[in-house]
Amino acid sequence: MASENTAVLAPRTLKSAKTSYDSLRFLPWLFLAPSLVIYSIVVVYPMVYSAYLSLFRWDGVSPTKVYVGLDNYGILFTQNDVFWIALRNNAIWLVAALLLPTSIGLGLAILLNARFRGSHIFRSVFYFPSVLSLAVVGLIWTWIYHPDLGLLNQVLRAVGLKALARNWLSDPNIALYPVIIAATWNAVGLPMLLYLAGLQTIPEELHEAAKVEGANPIQRFVYITFPMLRETTLVVLAIMAINALKAYDIIYAMTNGGPANKTQLLSTWMYFLTYNYNQVGLGTAIAVVLFSLTLIFAIPYIRFMTRKT
Amino acid sequence: MSQSLSQNPFLSGKSKVGLFYVVLIVATLFWLTPVITLVLTALKDAGDFAVNGAFSLPKAIRWANFSEAWETGVKNYFWNSVIVTGFKVPIGIVLESMAAFALTHMHFKWADRIFTYILIGLIVPMQMTLVPLTLLMNALNLIDTLTGLTILYIGFGVPFGVLVMRGFFRTVPVAIIEAARIDGCSWFRIFYRIALPLSLPAVVSLCILDGVATWNEFILAQIFLRSDELRTLPLGLVQFSTQFSTQYDQLAAAVLISVVPIVLVFLFFQRYFVAGMGGAVK
Repeated sequence: MASENTAVLAPRTLKSAKTSYDSLRFLPWLFLAPSLVIYSIVVVYPMVYSAYLSLFRWDGVSPTKVYVGLDNYGILFTQNDVFWIALRNNAIWLVAALLLPTSIGLGLAILLNARFRGSHIFRSVFYFPSVLSLAVVGLIWTWIYHPDLGLLNQVLRAVGLKALARNWLSDPNIALYPVIIAATWNAVGLPMLLYLAGLQTIPEELHEAAKVEGANPIQRFVYITFPMLRETTLVVLAIMAINALKAYDIIYAMTNGGPANKTQLLSTWMYFLTYNYNQVGLGTAIAVVLFSLTLIFAIPYIRFMTRKT
Repeated sequence: MSQSLSQNPFLSGKSKVGLFYVVLIVATLFWLTPVITLVLTALKDAGDFAVNGAFSLPKAIRWANFSEAWETGVKNYFWNSVIVTGFKVPIGIVLESMAAFALTHMHFKWADRIFTYILIGLIVPMQMTLVPLTLLMNALNLIDTLTGLTILYIGFGVPFGVLVMRGFFRTVPVAIIEAARIDGCSWFRIFYRIALPLSLPAVVSLCILDGVATWNEFILAQIFLRSDELRTLPLGLVQFSTQFSTQYDQLAAAVLISVVPIVLVFLFFQRYFVAGMGGAVK
């Protein structure tokens, strides 16, 4: 700005001096610095360092780490049975998280989108479990599954299905599924909210026009509502997948990975290996695997979030 | 929300409205069964529970469950959660909104790249950070302190906070900011006199979402708090459940105490949950 140097324009110079001080290149950095510094130290640096640690054999305390290259990953994939159980459980969990909360959430959103007496109360009811901590959700559902006193078995016995009653959380073959049900109860609220918001953006005229053309409700859902919710669905699926891979608290509260490690997820098995068995190398390697899986779903999501900028 | 009930795709005639309510109420009761079970258990004595199970009306309401649970340790857990949440949320919001402001309105060349860098934090599984954080916190003598835990919470809160605040700052008209610039208003003043007041609903939303998330956080608390008297509620409750595994009445009362503040916040600030999540996907 050459005009700033002309002394003739005294008042203006003063003002632009201030402006130029303000638009100093470092000013945005100043606004960003506190967040960036603490975020980089607490989240980013540990992430990178974890990836580095996964290349070593280390117990977490001794001063020497032994560099082993990719051996930890080799051990996990070829010698660690629980790792495969955890991987399989994560896959089951992921599929359930992509199907159940999303479809239930969409169904509820469509039902509750209309403004009618009490619609807000019903929305709150179905959203409510989402504000509870997963530890609390886990504890509450543990009572429901209690073999003798739990509601589930009581109901089964009362309706003559005694044969189905079992010790839900101690049966190695099925223990994961009751936990997934509990997690679903907690997870439905978010897709419902996002779908409710998405439904607001669909112009009423579309439905009106379709009705005039004689489209029935199902046709209108298939050809109008669902296609118009495409963006919302992408966001919902991405968030559900990312959250599914983060699942941890609820396992810890309900089964602690048992019985016989049959309900371990990568997240809980990482904790066990690292903090109970002092296998820091293996633990961090699991963390890296988990993070890589997350990236599959996260990269499209981040692309989407940073669009139009 | 402009849709009337009769235009709901599932309902074409008003005659079905009655059925619609019946279905919804049944679904509601079904959905709330776990909560009803919790409340019923918290109100009865252990003997009643052992005989009749969780899902039956208490023979006699036993309020003492709450006072006993409170004195057996929940009191400590509760206040620890209050302290951590009370420091984390306001500090976090100040930092996050400053950052979000720089990313939206300051014509910052690196804005997109920095935003992407910050978003990575949303997807990182906690497990990916635990070991190095343990080493770091150990070196700084911050293991087993509420201060250390609060610092971690602030760091992990940055991505979501920036995401939400950025979503809202983007709706502040550029014209207002530009007008203030031309009048010689400094960026700091624009931030706290214009952008922040205009985004007050966002600040409230974020406070609530963040408050709930902090109140409920488990894994970091589990790793970085070691002594019982420092535990926060979720951690304390799980501990409580393994220690007093047969005293369901007290455990239920403890869980209920931990849930009450969340329920109150939820009832009074409900619409902000919606607004906040809206901001997160804008």
